[in-house]
Amino acid sequence: MRIPCPLCGSRDRREFYYYGSEDYLNRPTDQGTIEELDNHLFLRHNPAGITRDLWYHETGCTSWLIVTRNTITHEVLGSELVADRKKGA
Amino acid sequence: MRIEGKGAIDRTKPVSFKFDGKTYQGFKGDTLASALLANGVKLLGRSFKYHRPRGVLTAGSEEPNALVEVVGATNQTPNVRATVQEIFEGLNARSQNRWPSLRFDLMAVNDLAAPFLSAGFYYKTFMWPKALWEGLYEPIIRRAAGLGSLSGKHDEGHYEKAFAFCDVLVIGAGPTGLMAALTAARAGADVILCEEDRLLGGRLIADDATLNGKPAADWVAAVEAELRASPNVRIMPRTTVTGAYDGGQYGALERVGLHKGPRPDLPRECFWRITAAQTVLAAGALERSIAFPMNDRPGIMLASAVQSYLNKFGVVPGRRVTLFANNDGARVVARQLMAAGVSVAAILDSRPEASAVEDCPVYLGAQVTDTKGRHGLRAISGTHMGGEFQIETDLLAVSGGWNPTLHITCHMNGRPRWEASLAAFVPMENAVPNLKAAGACNGAFTTLACLTEGADAARAALISLGRNAVAVDQPKAEGMPYVITPLWQVAGKGRAWLDFANDVTTKDVKLAAQEGYQSVEHMKLRRSSRPRLRRWARGGGQMALRRSAS
Repeated sequence: MRIPCPLCGSRDRREFYYYGSEDYLNRPTDQGTIEELDNHLFLRHNPAGITRDLWYHETGCTSWLIVTRNTITHEVLGSELVADRKKGA
Repeated sequence: MRIEGKGAIDRTKPVSFKFDGKTYQGFKGDTLASALLANGVKLLGRSFKYHRPRGVLTAGSEEPNALVEVVGATNQTPNVRATVQEIFEGLNARSQNRWPSLRFDLMAVNDLAAPFLSAGFYYKTFMWPKALWEGLYEPIIRRAAGLGSLSGKHDEGHYEKAFAFCDVLVIGAGPTGLMAALTAARAGADVILCEEDRLLGGRLIADDATLNGKPAADWVAAVEAELRASPNVRIMPRTTVTGAYDGGQYGALERVGLHKGPRPDLPRECFWRITAAQTVLAAGALERSIAFPMNDRPGIMLASAVQSYLNKFGVVPGRRVTLFANNDGARVVARQLMAAGVSVAAILDSRPEASAVEDCPVYLGAQVTDTKGRHGLRAISGTHMGGEFQIETDLLAVSGGWNPTLHITCHMNGRPRWEASLAAFVPMENAVPNLKAAGACNGAFTTLACLTEGADAARAALISLGRNAVAVDQPKAEGMPYVITPLWQVAGKGRAWLDFANDVTTKDVKLAAQEGYQSVEHMKLRRSSRPRLRRWARGGGQMALRRSAS
């Protein structure tokens, strides 16, 4: 498996650390309900198809990435920096 | 027996090696199998279940019989294929799965008990009482099962892993692969050419084919020289591509030091992860045997293997050769043997309407129904259109047709397709993303078609890469069509082996099917009747099995 890093280019997946779903970025505020926190921590979609996950380029540029891939075809469709997303938001 | 002037071995460099404690001599470039056959050694191993005497069946990595232990200073490697292992000064090899010796093996009693050791015997017999499973049954089965043994010591050899990248990966360096690599290299693409053998050329060398009216070896040498001079090409001999993975990655195992004596500076093997933008699969095809009664004796070999030993090693492992085939390929082998001065006793063609122009007896509509000779073939008998025959012969070359080596196209959920005109499975298109099968592994069984498909596949890869192809001269080659009439098994009293590695006969397959294990995946586990050890015969056995099971 190869993962395209926006800074380093296409790299072997052994350079990366997998964290989990992109949902981890959407932390509820401290004004939120207990259900929202429960959802955030424990409830995850398990899509057959496109999924967006967090990967850490540990032995490369040490950036956090959001990698889009297809769980059916195993195709890796693209990636973006978490830092860029924060700036845009 | 060696034939003067034949073979790609270096006769100025004798090499001595040991097999079962006895010292033999071969030449640089020999495999263990070719050197032993040249020394008249036919018995190389014992079969898995019945401990039947077995010799060399093939001349390549598909070998199911001639498995040996290679003993090093600190390590002992079991189940090494004698047809792949190259000899080197001081090589020490041992036969396995026999006790006390290869010629006299007490476990051969299994062969007499064969009627009771049917498919699934172990599963059915060692069920009850449960208390005896681990204490009694398992140690017994374990001792009886398995082939080679390990030294029990720490392996101090080095093993390496490495990464490689290319625009075009070419798997196999026969006519198809060489043409593909040349086309891609001339267009300036980064090319990796992996070849399992020590030599490039594949069946061009083994068949002693003719290209441009000259020996094909000349063309192979010219292409190899050009590829070696190209900075954008890496040639990897002795490297087997083992698998296709996501994102254009391929696993490949290189034999770095296994063909040399102990060298502290060299790893024994290197596992490569190759990332390729485009791939041309040019893995060729494997010949299959025919399931006739007692078809497993030492001295019964595939016709293509006899041809390989003649043309690659200058070895003919017999004095009086017989050929049994259902296609035209064996005729070429017969002619080459006769041209080399070898006595051909007869050609047995299973097709009633085949030609009979060769300079030796040709029996049409022929079937071999029995063979004799426990430690080496002595005689065969059978029927043909005009009656019965009995032939004294010490080498029977069998050809049941060819199976494309399409395994890698099945690694990502791809299913092969049955092609009736070839009586073989061929790969589906786009079974692996960005991989194109070409040549014999795609069902193109003539040299002409291989050369054309190789160049075409490379051009398609170049277009996908956005590169312009440069014209490459295609050498003139034969395009004799492949004509085959399927012959899967010969009816008769004796046992007919389908899968030599697992000691599986046609009867075992029928029984497994009767018991409901019709799916090939289930059958191959059940019929081998050995828990845990589920070696699976490559090529022929599997394909023949699919047919006879249906």
